Amino acid sequence: MTEHAWDTVTGLIDGQADDWDRAGLLPVDLLRKLGADGRLCAQVPAEYGGRGLSSLENGEFTARVGSLCSSVRSVMTSQGMAAWTIERLGTAEQRAAWLPRLTGGELAAAGFSEPGAGSDLSAIATSIRRDGDSVVIDGRKVWVTAAHYADLLVVFGRYEDGAAAVVVPSDAPGVRVERVADPLGCRAAGHAGITLDSVRLPADAVLGGVGLSLPLLVTTALAYGRISVAWGCVGILRGCRTAAAQHASTREQFGKPLAEHQLVARHLAELLVAEQLATRVSEHASRCWDSGSPEQVMATVLAKHVSADQATRGAETALQVLASAGARDGHLVARAYRDAKLMKIIEGSHEMCQLMLAEHAVNGSI
Amino acid sequence: MDATHRTAAPDADAVAKEVLRFLETKTKRSWEPEQDLFASGGLSSLFAMELVVHLEKSFGVAIRGADLRLDNFRTVQAMTALVLRLTDAATGSGGE
Repeated sequence: MTEHAWDTVTGLIDGQADDWDRAGLLPVDLLRKLGADGRLCAQVPAEYGGRGLSSLENGEFTARVGSLCSSVRSVMTSQGMAAWTIERLGTAEQRAAWLPRLTGGELAAAGFSEPGAGSDLSAIATSIRRDGDSVVIDGRKVWVTAAHYADLLVVFGRYEDGAAAVVVPSDAPGVRVERVADPLGCRAAGHAGITLDSVRLPADAVLGGVGLSLPLLVTTALAYGRISVAWGCVGILRGCRTAAAQHASTREQFGKPLAEHQLVARHLAELLVAEQLATRVSEHASRCWDSGSPEQVMATVLAKHVSADQATRGAETALQVLASAGARDGHLVARAYRDAKLMKIIEGSHEMCQLMLAEHAVNGSI
Repeated sequence: MDATHRTAAPDADAVAKEVLRFLETKTKRSWEPEQDLFASGGLSSLFAMELVVHLEKSFGVAIRGADLRLDNFRTVQAMTALVLRLTDAATGSGGE
């Protein structure tokens, strides 16, 4: 992405994230504009109207947006995950049908979690049932990021003897989308619950058209979400580091800038370390992704785990440095403090990532 | 992540040998060509994804849609058949 393109995006977001956070809403025309420019899912290949960015390029872009507004970045994560799922699981016809819509201004979300299936996605109960040339979908999804804005919902459910992802227009009869009231973080990201009540769609809405292994399906789709969250957390840390350094170098107490007090200086050092750790581990995962290395699978889990953990700590540190100057809703570090905590929960919780990493420590080689 | 280095269609023995080599390097144990990799005590879905990416990279194929059925990755034999089918499709009919 050129600096000019980046300036365009910055101009659309910068200075407004505080208001969006307090209102709990993003301007839909902004999202559609970013979407129509192919920026919400920038890795989609050019043949589908996308920007065809590498994972590393898209990661850097994601971090830049994330440094300004985690709600917009969360919408990017959702749109990108929906596009990646369609690209990976869809047939050639389905890719040609859906992807240009996701690079053309339509908005999408991906629904995994259910009331009884959070970390344990093997408990997914949503059913996709074949009925002649149609499929009928019944179930409930919770905490679907960006669903409030979405035109298309990629819904995971049970199908045949396995599972499938199905592309559901949010205005299809039987679909109800209800916003999560007052989420802790990424408050404007449009988290919503989805109820699917006998939703009837043409059978070709089922990506790939067959039942697949649920764990493989979910693992595939979440891989994109994880690397996107990792880069989003890099952005959170950049924003926090900049805000803390700026405050500590200008605010004076006891006759000198905060940064010259050693205990505060240590916070600044820790923020730098956190930002660098998150950046380097995310870069590594993206490079594995771009080179087609199988190591990308675990490197992505590692990046999400490290980056979200560092962002949680870093945001807390930044808030400690800014203290009352950052302790109001909407302020960058106050948002970071709340947003980062959600990043430690979604797309595989801190603990689920640890279980995967532990298993890999025993059985694999990284 | 489309295939970048497509070469002449590999033969079954070469594919099976490469898949076994990858498996044994990754898991530090030996496997039979018809052994179920995902049977109890076997390998995880994360490892299945590593297999998908490895096959794509090593043999220049794109494994998408219905080809992601776990049965295609359950044994070395199944993975060999999948790779041969996808390379045939790519070099033969001009499909993807």
